[in-house]
Amino acid sequence: MDTSSFISLFREERYVSELKGTRKNQILDELLGLLKQNHVVNHPDLLLETLKKRETLGSTGLGKNVAIPHCRTLTVSELIVIVGHSNKGVDWQAMDKKPVTLIFLIIAPPQEKQNIYLPVLGKICEIVRENKIRKMLIRATDFRDFINIIGAAA
Amino acid sequence: MKNTQLEILVHYQDIDLMLREAEEVEKTLGFPIEGHEKLQGAKKELEKHISPKYLHTYQRLRTRYKRPIVPVQNDTCLGCFSKLPTYFKVRAREDQEMYTCENCGRILYWMN
Repeated sequence: MDTSSFISLFREERYVSELKGTRKNQILDELLGLLKQNHVVNHPDLLLETLKKRETLGSTGLGKNVAIPHCRTLTVSELIVIVGHSNKGVDWQAMDKKPVTLIFLIIAPPQEKQNIYLPVLGKICEIVRENKIRKMLIRATDFRDFINIIGAAA
Repeated sequence: MKNTQLEILVHYQDIDLMLREAEEVEKTLGFPIEGHEKLQGAKKELEKHISPKYLHTYQRLRTRYKRPIVPVQNDTCLGCFSKLPTYFKVRAREDQEMYTCENCGRILYWMN
């Protein structure tokens, strides 16, 4: 996957600069709310249930204030990335127990033409492992700021 | 009419894929995978809500395909890319039956 394809996965309408929820499930529901509005997801309740099930397998909180909840599901027809910030911080049962302030939600159908789900997941993991970049992404206050950092890091 | 059985089966397949990918790939990306048994339990629990006909078809197909349920797009099965008869779509919306691709046998799922 080339850099421009990766960057194009991030969209302003799928970016939340300040999430209201204070718990993991509330945050997931809030992020999925963006998709419900645009009728992008076939069955939002089923998708939320799948994301919750993924969390039972092991927290998607990678540590250092970042979580990357993700799943494959037949309820969407294309790969979707939603980004949200929580200034208050959310307990995500992360490995380092630190509250999560930056969330990347990745959802993909089981069948994808380009098979980019795992490469995208891997790329985001790689980007947020860079201390300097992660801190800048966490501090981003709007989509423009955020996408500029992603663009420089990708 | 909504096919509830198919929706449960879709959720079942999502968990099935999740278990496989978590072990094969996600561990290497640094995600802690420690609730394998818990999720297997949830999968077993879900089986109780799937009719034997649906579950048997799924499990039979699972031996041949990674993803026994496939979406339909533009009247095409996205498992084998065969064109499906138009009446399938109409009927699938009207009744609770399970529709399978006439070419590859996979279970078909129509997006709204």
